[in-house]
Amino acid sequence: MAEHSLYSRLVRDVAARALDTAAAAGAHYADCRVVNRTVQSLTVKNGEVLGVELSEDSGVGVRVIVDGAWGFAGVGRLDGASVDGAAQDAVRIARASARLLRDPVRLAPVTPAQGEYRTPVERDPFDVSLEDKMDVLLRTDAAMARVSGLRVRQGSLEFVKEERSFASSEGASLTQTIIESGGGIDATATSDSEVQTRSFPNSFGRHQVCGGWEAVLAMDLPGNGERIAEEAVALLTAAVCPEGRMTVILDGTQAALQVHESCGHPTELDRVLGFEAAFAGTSFLTPDLLGSFRYGSEQVTLTADATRPTGLGTFGWDDEGVPAQRTVLVDAGVFRGYMSSRETAAVLGTTSSGAMRADSWPRIPVIRMTNVNLEPGDSSLEEMIAGTERGVYLETNRSWSIDDRRLNFQFGTQNGWEIADGRRVRLVRNALYSGRTPEFWRSCDAVAGPDEWRMWGVVNCGKGEPPQAMHVGHGAAPCRFRDVHVEPAR
Amino acid sequence: VSRTRDELLAVATEALAEIARGEGEAIAMEADSQLTRFANNTIHQNVAESSLQVRLRVIAEQRVGVAQVRGEGTGSLTGVAAAAEQARVLAGVSHPSPLPGPDHGDDALVAFSAATKGATPEQRADLAGTVVRAAERSGVLAYGSMKTTTTRTAIVNSSGVRRFAESTEADLITVIRGDDGAGYAARHAISVDDIDAAAAAAEAVDTCQRNQGAAPLEPGVYEVVLAPYAVVDLLDHLGWVGFNALAKQEHRSFMRLGERLMSESVTISDEPRDPGVFPYPFDYEGVSSRQVAFVANGVCAGFAYDTPTALSDGVESTGHSLPQPNTWGPYARHVVMREGVSSVDELIAGVKRGLYVTRLWYVRDVHPLRTIITGMTREGTFLIEDGKLAHPVRDLRFTQSIVDALADVRGVSRDRHLALGEDASAVLAPWLHLGRFAFTS
Repeated sequence: MAEHSLYSRLVRDVAARALDTAAAAGAHYADCRVVNRTVQSLTVKNGEVLGVELSEDSGVGVRVIVDGAWGFAGVGRLDGASVDGAAQDAVRIARASARLLRDPVRLAPVTPAQGEYRTPVERDPFDVSLEDKMDVLLRTDAAMARVSGLRVRQGSLEFVKEERSFASSEGASLTQTIIESGGGIDATATSDSEVQTRSFPNSFGRHQVCGGWEAVLAMDLPGNGERIAEEAVALLTAAVCPEGRMTVILDGTQAALQVHESCGHPTELDRVLGFEAAFAGTSFLTPDLLGSFRYGSEQVTLTADATRPTGLGTFGWDDEGVPAQRTVLVDAGVFRGYMSSRETAAVLGTTSSGAMRADSWPRIPVIRMTNVNLEPGDSSLEEMIAGTERGVYLETNRSWSIDDRRLNFQFGTQNGWEIADGRRVRLVRNALYSGRTPEFWRSCDAVAGPDEWRMWGVVNCGKGEPPQAMHVGHGAAPCRFRDVHVEPAR
Repeated sequence: VSRTRDELLAVATEALAEIARGEGEAIAMEADSQLTRFANNTIHQNVAESSLQVRLRVIAEQRVGVAQVRGEGTGSLTGVAAAAEQARVLAGVSHPSPLPGPDHGDDALVAFSAATKGATPEQRADLAGTVVRAAERSGVLAYGSMKTTTTRTAIVNSSGVRRFAESTEADLITVIRGDDGAGYAARHAISVDDIDAAAAAAEAVDTCQRNQGAAPLEPGVYEVVLAPYAVVDLLDHLGWVGFNALAKQEHRSFMRLGERLMSESVTISDEPRDPGVFPYPFDYEGVSSRQVAFVANGVCAGFAYDTPTALSDGVESTGHSLPQPNTWGPYARHVVMREGVSSVDELIAGVKRGLYVTRLWYVRDVHPLRTIITGMTREGTFLIEDGKLAHPVRDLRFTQSIVDALADVRGVSRDRHLALGEDASAVLAPWLHLGRFAFTS
């Protein structure tokens, strides 16, 4: 406790010094983030512990506005001279920015907040022994090993604790402790002509949430290891996915990624204003479409909600000190809103939606998804299948690609189930589906209800220069789309 | 204030000395990076960062533990050895890859420029300004970034490895947007003084002006001329899914050594000591990086190795390791495709009806074993008719096997361009005339 108090005082001193130095150097506005991030990673591969990795990342980032232009500097030292240096560097950089300035930066107003936030957990994962964590992975590996024909078995767990403090020259003073727990397994089977991987609970290595050890136990990795391994082997000889226009039903994980790519990114207001045009791209959802554009069917309501429990985008305040909030992006199919920052909101004459997030102390906050959710409907997976004459039920992402305006997409999934006359008839492999965002979402005729709705985590969302990998959440449930182009990879 | 060679080696050596038992490896990496970003003809983001990272791998009693610390807190890096030992004790018995010994490689050949190391925010703003003014003169808008990076890396291990390198990189990318179309250009150099912002701006403005009012085109299989910005994506993906020895060992690679899978004009190698592709002397195990021929005249020739994959195959590491241990396997970061004899105009002239593609976007593996990728064209796709660029066409999605595409190479340019892969690895690529490329929507 004494150690924590000392750290808290250090952080307060660092923040105050950074803001004072920035002001003395000429900043009209300054904010400061002091971040300490601890990560535990455990990986088991083919029955052996590949490694246990413990990492810690700490430093301070100072952001300023001078002469109407932005500057930022991050440094990994918290001594006075280093903090002064970062603040002065940020001011010098801002003055350089002002050499090429069209319009001075304006910030939408926010009431400076003081407070603390901590991710609610039943059991802090850092209080759980590494032995107990390793036991989960080794039992899961043993379950997968019971299935013959696998080439690679892999499992991993990751736990994150991030303490971040924010202070601004406007008077904000915030401290947050974000705790994440995640895990996942991959089973890979190979033949001369095929490589098939099944993942659980999600692809990209793991599923992750803001929460404690209870989230890992709820995944029941050991209880699913054998089934996932069997599915990987079965895929080697499964029929090739059928081709044509047909009904597509997505499982919750694939629905989450569909939301991420085709709704989350195009509703980021910085993309709309061109801030990302040279890298991540722009958006087809231009401001003139707000309030009238039919993005999807009446079944489709999408929100950005940083208050939703367990989401990787759940927090108390964003990295500009704006409170966590719920923003309706699409309401019963109609495009209604953006995720925004103080700067971009001011362009539209609104207030920030609280979506500014940085992935680490040396990177500036940019507009990032919080938890972008497809709100639950009133159907169920079994009802959707029963109501499908010809189609496929697709599970777990395998490949993903979308254009720079977020219109033309193609996704592949690990598993496919061919549906005929309301029944799953056989497993199919190498499924791809493609379309254009509004036409696709307008063809959505059913979303499963709250019982099948779950918060999923994406831990590899890339954006910004230098690149940042953000952890974002997506609440989703199985959902059905009519008349979609489906084909096998070939 | 950046550390000297001896100071950074001392940081790594001190971390290694804290190991209580067994053997270990310490990597100390200090990075200073600055990036000026512009959009709508104005600088809208401008950042700098400086950090020291220490990674310690401990091996004892057939257990391996890793700890990593970035940032120095109140002024010292403490506890990294204790954390690595804690990880090691809990890791369980396995068969950890052994530490390599010293190979007496030369650390002198490295991409370094004092000009880049000393680049100022004012210099970066001026280079951005060169692009913006070119856009303003043409009545269009400039977007992009100007980045300078200096990285110092020291690697020491218990087997006697002791390496240090200081490297720099300067990168300018720009997208120029008009009312109804855009152009792209990028320049990468060791020295910021070699970044020709005016030339990049002229190239992107020219593409933008020619790329206005693109017409829709029916998807299908077309002959293509791919610019190096696009070819880099093909080579980059081959590196991950094919040239990586772990992919071979796990039966995920398309490569079949000794078999001709591509056209005779295709020769692809990794050239860590080529001054044209950011030379760097060693990998993340401190092993000297060697030239590796992956494809020679269309024939599968070899793989990139790190220590664990090399041991498994009974060969020597080629010096392509990422930080150990890892699940990705070795990786080539200096890929070169051999030049041909044609000019770019000659390649275009050889196409009766096809497409010229400036760059690709959001390229992802669809079926790694068959090297099938998908992605979109972006910022400059043109119809070629009767050997000439006819008019711009709207961006298209492609889904195509890379190996199949490289099995029908009809021409390779003599000029090449340095581009970066998605993870910023260097690729020196020519323009390619390919006989077929499948556009799907």
